[in-house]
Amino acid sequence: MRALILILAAICVLPLVVRPAIASEIWIFAIFGLGLNLLLGYTGLLSFGQSTFFGSAAYAAGYLLKHYAIGIPLALGVGVGIGALSALLVGYLCVQRSGLYLIMLTFALNQLFYFVAYQWTSVTGGEDGMPGIPRPALLGVDLRDPQHYYVLVSALFLIALWLMKRIVESPLGKILQAIRENEVRADAVGYNAPRFKLAAFVIGGAFSGAAGVLYAMLFGIVPLEAIGFVVSGNVVFATLIGGSGSLYGPIIGSFVFIWLSESMSVMWARWPLLLGVAFIIVVLFFRGGVVEAWSRIWRFSKRTT
Amino acid sequence: MALLETHNLTKSFGALTAVNAVSLRIESGALHSIIGPNGAGKTTLFNLLTGTFAPTSGTLFFDGKDITGTPSHRIAHLGLARSFQRTNVFPALSLFDNVWIAAFARSPSRRGLTWRRTDHYPEATERARAALSDVGLGEKANQLAREISHGEQRQLELAIALAAAPRVLLLDEPAAGLSPEETRQVVALVRTLKGRYTIVLIEHKMDIIMNVSDRISVMHFGALIAEGTPAEIQRNPDVRRAYLGGVAA
Repeated sequence: MRALILILAAICVLPLVVRPAIASEIWIFAIFGLGLNLLLGYTGLLSFGQSTFFGSAAYAAGYLLKHYAIGIPLALGVGVGIGALSALLVGYLCVQRSGLYLIMLTFALNQLFYFVAYQWTSVTGGEDGMPGIPRPALLGVDLRDPQHYYVLVSALFLIALWLMKRIVESPLGKILQAIRENEVRADAVGYNAPRFKLAAFVIGGAFSGAAGVLYAMLFGIVPLEAIGFVVSGNVVFATLIGGSGSLYGPIIGSFVFIWLSESMSVMWARWPLLLGVAFIIVVLFFRGGVVEAWSRIWRFSKRTT
Repeated sequence: MALLETHNLTKSFGALTAVNAVSLRIESGALHSIIGPNGAGKTTLFNLLTGTFAPTSGTLFFDGKDITGTPSHRIAHLGLARSFQRTNVFPALSLFDNVWIAAFARSPSRRGLTWRRTDHYPEATERARAALSDVGLGEKANQLAREISHGEQRQLELAIALAAAPRVLLLDEPAAGLSPEETRQVVALVRTLKGRYTIVLIEHKMDIIMNVSDRISVMHFGALIAEGTPAEIQRNPDVRRAYLGGVAA
C-alpha cells in the first residue's frame, strides 16, 4: 500500500520536475524492467537480449501505425503479441541451456535480430531507423500533447505493475522462484522447469513488447539501437541498480537510470562513468540494489532512534 | 500386490554398471529398506525409480503400469515423492512456501495459475500445513529455509516429500549427518509415517533399519544379494561378508 502511494505521488510530481517526455520514458522503461525482472529476479535467468522483444514490437507496431494508421489499442496489442511471440522463439532455444550458455544465447539471438533489422531497410529503415511514427488520438483525446501522452503511459504503467504483481504472487510466481532456488528439486516435485522458464520468457517478452510500442510512439521513431545490445544491457543495468530481488526494484532502477542519463548527459559527455561507479557500488555492497540499500538505512535509523 | 516393481533394472555409466539387473517388489503399505555399503548403487537405484535417469535396460512398473523412461517431473504426478540424501530445499523461500510448492504440484486443478493468489488454494495450503506439522516445523512456517538448522532442514526435506501426498515415499538417508538426538527424532517420525505410506528407505545406520523395516533388500556392487525380513538379513552370511569383509576380500 505504501509503495502504491509513493508511486502515485511520483507519477503526479514527476512531470513538474522533468520534461513530460522524460517522465514518460521513465515509466516506459519501468514496464520494460518489470518484464526483464520476471526473468532475472524471479526465475534467476539473465536475459541479455531483452531488446529483441522490445525492438521487434516497436518495429511491428510502428510499421502498422505509420502505414496502416491503426489505433493505439491495436498497436499495443500487436506489440504485446510480437513481444510474446519473439520471446517464445528466443526462449524456446534458450531454455535448453542454463547459466552462461543461456546468457550467451540470448545475446547471440539479440544480435541476429539486430542484423535483420539493420539489413531489412525497406521496412525498418536500417541505420536511419523508422521515423514518422504517429501518435493517434485515443477516445477523442489528442495524444500529440506530451502531457496527455504522459497520462496514458502512466496509466498503462499502473496496469502493467498490477498485472505483474498478480503474476508474481500467483502460483506461477512461486514456481518460478522455486526453479530459481533449486531447479533439481522443482523438477523432482513435479514441475517441468524448461516449460516454466519459457512461460517466464513469454510473459517478460509481452511486457517488453508493450514498452517497445510506447517508446516508438513517444519519440515518433524506432532507432536501430532500440533492438541493439546496448538497450538490452541498459535494462539489466537499471534493474540491478534498482534491485532485482523485489517487484519495485526495476521501477526505482528505471528512475535512477533515465534521470541520470537525461540530466547528466547534458552536462558531461562522460556521464556513463557515473553509472559505472554506481554499478560497482551496487555489485560490491548492495546486491539487492537501491531497494536493499534503502531497507538497510531504514533498519539502521530505527535501531539508532 | 506390489505397488512398485522393477524387472532387471540396469544402469551403466560407461564401463561402470552402477545398478545391475535389480528386480524388486515393493508391497503396498510396507516399509522396505535398501541397504548396502557405500557405492553399492542405492542412490542410483533411487534415481532410476524417480525418473532422474532412464535405465540402460530393464523395466519399472508402478501400480501395474509400465513407467520406464517417464521423466522425473511426471513421475512426481503419479505419486512417487522422494527426499534427497543431501539437503535439497529452496533456500530463499519460507518453509511454508517450500512445502506449498510441492503440494501445489499435485493439485488436481491449476486454474488461476498466473493470476490467482496462492492462498486461494485451500487444498494445497491444507496439505502444506499438515506436512509441516507432521515433521514438527509447524511453528516455523514463516522462516526462510536457509535460516534453520541442518537438522531442521532434513525435516523440511521430508516435509516437501510428504506435501506431495505421495503413494510411495522414497527416503534417501533421512538421517544423514544428524546428531544422535536428531536421528532419534527422524526415526520416530519415520515410524509415524509407516503404514500411512508405502515407504522405500535407504539408510546406513543399521539400528534404524533393523528397527523400522518390514523387508530389507541388500545391494552390493550394484546387484541385489539378499532380501528378507530384518531377522533373516541379520543371519544371512552373504550380507555379513559384504559388510564386514566383502569389499576387501
